[in-house]
Amino acid sequence: MERRTFLTGTAAAALMSQMPIRIAAAQDKVIKFAMPQDFTKVYTFVTAEYNQGQRDYISLVNARGGINGYQIVADVSDHGNDQPRAIEAYERAKAGGAVLIDPLSTPVARALVPRALEDKINLITAFSGRSDAADGSVFPYVLPLSPNYWTQAALLIDHFKQKDGGSLQGKKICFVHIDTPFGKEPLPILEKLAEKEGYELVAFPYTPPGNDQSAIWPQVRRARPDWTMFWGAGVGQTVALTEAIRNGLPMDRVSSSVWLSESDMDVVGAAAATGVLKVEPCVSGREPKLIQDILKEVVGPGKGAGPENKVGTAYYNYGVMLAAIMVEGVRKAFEKAPDGPITGEWLNAGLTSISNFEAEGLIPPTTVTPEDHQGGGKARIAHWDGSKFAPDSDFFTANQDVVWEEIKKSSAVFKETGK
Amino acid sequence: MFFRRAGIRHTRYQSERQIWPLPFDRRLAILLFLFALAAPFLLDRLHLVGYLLPWIIWSTAALGLNFLMGGAGQIHLGYGALIGIGAYTTVHMTRAGMPFEIALIGGGLLSAAVGIVFGATALRVKGIYLAMATLAMQYIVDFVIVQFPAISGGTQAALTVPRVRFLGIPVVGDLPSYYVALAVCVIVTLFMLNVKRSSFGRALAAVREKDYAAAVIGVNTFRFKLTAFWVSSFIAGVVGGVLAVCYYRTISPDQFHLELSIQLVAMVIVGGLGSVLGSFFGAALIMFAPIVINQLIGSLAVALGLAISADLRAHLPLMLYGALIIGFLLWEPLGLAKIYANIRNYFLVWPFRHARH
Repeated sequence: MERRTFLTGTAAAALMSQMPIRIAAAQDKVIKFAMPQDFTKVYTFVTAEYNQGQRDYISLVNARGGINGYQIVADVSDHGNDQPRAIEAYERAKAGGAVLIDPLSTPVARALVPRALEDKINLITAFSGRSDAADGSVFPYVLPLSPNYWTQAALLIDHFKQKDGGSLQGKKICFVHIDTPFGKEPLPILEKLAEKEGYELVAFPYTPPGNDQSAIWPQVRRARPDWTMFWGAGVGQTVALTEAIRNGLPMDRVSSSVWLSESDMDVVGAAAATGVLKVEPCVSGREPKLIQDILKEVVGPGKGAGPENKVGTAYYNYGVMLAAIMVEGVRKAFEKAPDGPITGEWLNAGLTSISNFEAEGLIPPTTVTPEDHQGGGKARIAHWDGSKFAPDSDFFTANQDVVWEEIKKSSAVFKETGK
Repeated sequence: MFFRRAGIRHTRYQSERQIWPLPFDRRLAILLFLFALAAPFLLDRLHLVGYLLPWIIWSTAALGLNFLMGGAGQIHLGYGALIGIGAYTTVHMTRAGMPFEIALIGGGLLSAAVGIVFGATALRVKGIYLAMATLAMQYIVDFVIVQFPAISGGTQAALTVPRVRFLGIPVVGDLPSYYVALAVCVIVTLFMLNVKRSSFGRALAAVREKDYAAAVIGVNTFRFKLTAFWVSSFIAGVVGGVLAVCYYRTISPDQFHLELSIQLVAMVIVGGLGSVLGSFFGAALIMFAPIVINQLIGSLAVALGLAISADLRAHLPLMLYGALIIGFLLWEPLGLAKIYANIRNYFLVWPFRHARH
C-alpha cells in the first residue's frame, strides 16, 4: 500500500469513528449507560473485573428482554485515569444521550461532579469519588450507591469492638495508609471514634504509590497494635499485606477496606495471608443466585464479557452489584413514569426510590432516598480462609451518626462555596 | 502553487520583517483565527468542550514551556507543578472574593516567584542536572499541596471553582470559558511569535547555544536565564488559572502531578523545540491520539465483529500511540512543525523539486 493511501485511509477511518454515536443515539428503545473507566493506568485489573461483572449482568437483563422492552447499552471506553480524556468521554456520553455515567475513579469522579450536577446526568461513584456525595440534598446527581470510606472505617471499628468483647477501651489501633487525600480520608472518623470508644489511634502514612513500605511496617510491629487497618489501592495493597506478613502481625487482626481481592491474594501468597479481614459490600463467590444465572444464561452460551475464571471474584461481584442497582433504578423509574422521557432526571427519580433491594440475595437490603445516596451503609466483614473470603458477620451498619456528621459537615462546605 | 512569491516586492523594511511575509501564510493565519472565533457556533458542544477547549489550553501551556526549552534551552520537568501553583492561587484568590483578572495575574506572579527560585539552579547546573532540580520542584510542590488541607481543600481534596466574571462578563457555560481561554492563548501566541524578533529573544538564543559564549559577547546570562524562568513560569501560572476556571471547574492535586509535566515536555519535543506551530501540533497529537485511536479500535472492533478481549482492546491503543510518537520522531526528529515546514517548502518551489537554499 502506498503511504499516501494509507495515510488518507487512516484519516478517513479516524473521522468515521466520530460518526457512530449519532446513529446509536437515533435508535429507539435503548437506555445508554456510559462506562468510561480506567483499564490501563492505576486500577487496571480492578476495572477489568468490575466492568466484566457489570457487562455480564447487563447482558443477562438484555437477554431476558430488557426492562419494559428497552435494551440497556453499556458504552465502555478507557479513560486511563486521565481527566481530559474522562471529560471528553463524559461530553461524548452526554452527546450520545447517556443517562448515567460510571467512571470508577476517585480523581475523575471528583472532577466530573460540577458537570454532572449542571447537566443532570447520574454520576455513579461507587467505592470512589467524594464521600460526602452520600448527602443527596447537596449532590442530587452524584450517587455512590455503596458504603463510602467513612462508613467502611466505622464498620471495621465496630467489628473490632464486637470481637474484643464490646469495648475498645485502652486498645491500640494502627492505621497504615497511602499518603494521598484518599488514604487520609478515614482519619477524621477514626479520630472521632477514638474519642468515643477510648482506643489509641496511631497513623502511619506511606509515600505513594506505595511499592516500598519496608520502613513503615517494622514501626507498626513495634507499636504492638491490637488491630491494624491498611488503606491503599493498587500495588500499595499487596505490598502492605506482604510487609504485614513479613513483620509477623497476626493476620486475623489485620484488615483493609473493600479493596482486597482474590487477585491480591495470588500476589501475596494465598496461604500466608490466611485470616486477613476486609469489608464486603456484597456476597462474594459463585453461590448467589444472580451469579448462577449469569453463569447459566450469559457465560454458558459464550456471551461472557471476559474470562470465565473471573466470574464470582470479589470485584466481579461488585460490578454485578452496581449494575443490578442501576438496573433496579431503571425499573423503578419506569414504575414512576412509564412513558419517560428517558433522561437523567427520569433515571434519578428511579434510583432515589430504590427500597430494600437485595438483588436476589447478592447485596444487603439497600434503600436509596433523595437524601441518602449511600444506600444505608451496610456491609459485612469477611476473612480470607486460604482459598476464598468467608463472612465473619452478617450485613450490618454501625456508627452512622458519626459518619453522617462528617458527611453533613463536608457537604455543607461544598454547598457554601460550590455554587 | 499556493505560495505565490512572484510579484511581491518589499519596499519597506517593516513589510519584509513582518511575521508572515507571504500573503498565503497571512491569510491562513487570519482564517484560522476567524475559525477559532466562530468555533462555538460551528462546532457541537462535544467537540468544543471535549477537544477544542483543552487543545487551546494545553497548547498555551506547551508554548510557555517551549519558550523555556526551545527559546532559552533550559529543560524543565516541573512545569505541571507551576501550572498547579497558578491554579490553586487563582482559585483561592477568587474564593476570597477577588476579581478573576487580578487572581489570574496573582496566580502567574506566585508561579513566577516559585519558578524563579528553582530556576536559579540553572545558573549552576545544566542539562540532566537541571532536569533533576526541576523534578525535585515538582515533587516538593505536590507534597505541599497534598499536606496542607488549607490549600487542597479538606478531606475531599477537591476545590470547587466559584463563579467568576471576566471583564464584567460572567464566566458561566461553554462560550465565555472558551473565549477567555482563547484570549489568553492568542496573547501568549503573539508574544511567542514576536519574542524571537526582539533583543530579548536573541539574547536567549545566544544563551541557549552556549552560555559562556553568550557571556563573552556581552549577554548577561544571569539575568537572561532568570528572566526566561520568570516569564515561562508566569505563563504557567496564568494557564493554571485558565485551566481551573474554564476547564476543570474543580481542582484536585492529582491534576498537576508529574504526568502533566511529562505530557507537556512530550508535546514540546514531538511538536518541535522552539516552534510556535509545533506547540499546537504537539498538544493535539499527545492529547487526542489516545482518544481517537481508542475510538478507532472500538469502532473497528464493532464494525468488523472482531472478538478481541477487553484487555487487548484497552491496551492496543497504547501500543499504537507509542508507535505513533516514535514513528513521527523517526520520520522527522525535529518534530511535527518541521514536517509542516517540509511540506510548505515543497509547495514553495512547486513544480520544481528542490528549493535553492
